[in-house]
Amino acid sequence: MSAPDLFDLRERFDNEKILLCFNGPISRSLIEEIGNALRNYMKSEQASPAAALDVFAVYIELTQNIRHYAVASQLLDADTATVVVSYRDGHYHVSAGNIVRQEDGQILMDKVVALAALDKVELKKVYKEQLRKPREAEATSGAGLGLIDIARKASAPVVPSLKLLDNGTGYFSLSVQI
Amino acid sequence: MKDLKIVSTQSTPLIETDSHRGVVYMEGDSYPENSFEFYSELVAWVTSYLKDNERPMTVELALLYLNTSSIKVMMDIFDELEEHHQKGRDITVNWRYDVDNERVAELAEEFKEDCSFAFNIIGQE
Repeated sequence: MSAPDLFDLRERFDNEKILLCFNGPISRSLIEEIGNALRNYMKSEQASPAAALDVFAVYIELTQNIRHYAVASQLLDADTATVVVSYRDGHYHVSAGNIVRQEDGQILMDKVVALAALDKVELKKVYKEQLRKPREAEATSGAGLGLIDIARKASAPVVPSLKLLDNGTGYFSLSVQI
Repeated sequence: MKDLKIVSTQSTPLIETDSHRGVVYMEGDSYPENSFEFYSELVAWVTSYLKDNERPMTVELALLYLNTSSIKVMMDIFDELEEHHQKGRDITVNWRYDVDNERVAELAEEFKEDCSFAFNIIGQE
């Protein structure tokens, strides 16, 4: 059995300009700690406060969506998240993915594609409409605003992907350019 | 009525109320996983204050980042204040922010659009 090739991994991170990467079961406290590290990193890189807040906001919405989905779906391993933050071509990119049921993944794909077709003015309208909708009784959070908020903060259409896996599951991910 | 004094955490703001002066004060970041649960005490306090008397109410905010579920809760609170303002209640919101971070002002502006009471967004150097 060979030891993991950390140098190889590091080179890959460097080549892809990845400044933060996490893969594993995500908890509330991990979201906070990684978020804290992200904020400190951006401060030390002297990112503008607005860019730093946008990156942090998208990171929080993506990871909390995964946590809520894992609880609501009761799907095994759904709380194992992959999170990557990178900086390339003058933009920060925040990506996150997890295992979902294929039908849930398809609904998310459709939602994200529909939002990607809207301009900023239309997105604001959809956002305000969603904000006005009464909350579903059993909903603990979400408020249905997360994906719209992410689309509003993105400087390019959000890129969704769904890779079909066994047992009716799939790996769903979103990649967001700030 | 019993006032609130909730200390801040990394993901939740400081919350203090003063029922004698009619003031709610909030400061910090707000991104709890379950915002509705976290804010239930504050929502109950606001409802009860507005029901118990006719006095003015002031909301002093120094909030920085709000996740979308916190935004939803804040909108619900502002809606309730708006309802009472429509019936003649004196309501004021003062939202202070660091001028270096225009995102906070933009967030506050979007709330303000839906409120007809005094909503002051105050940039600080």
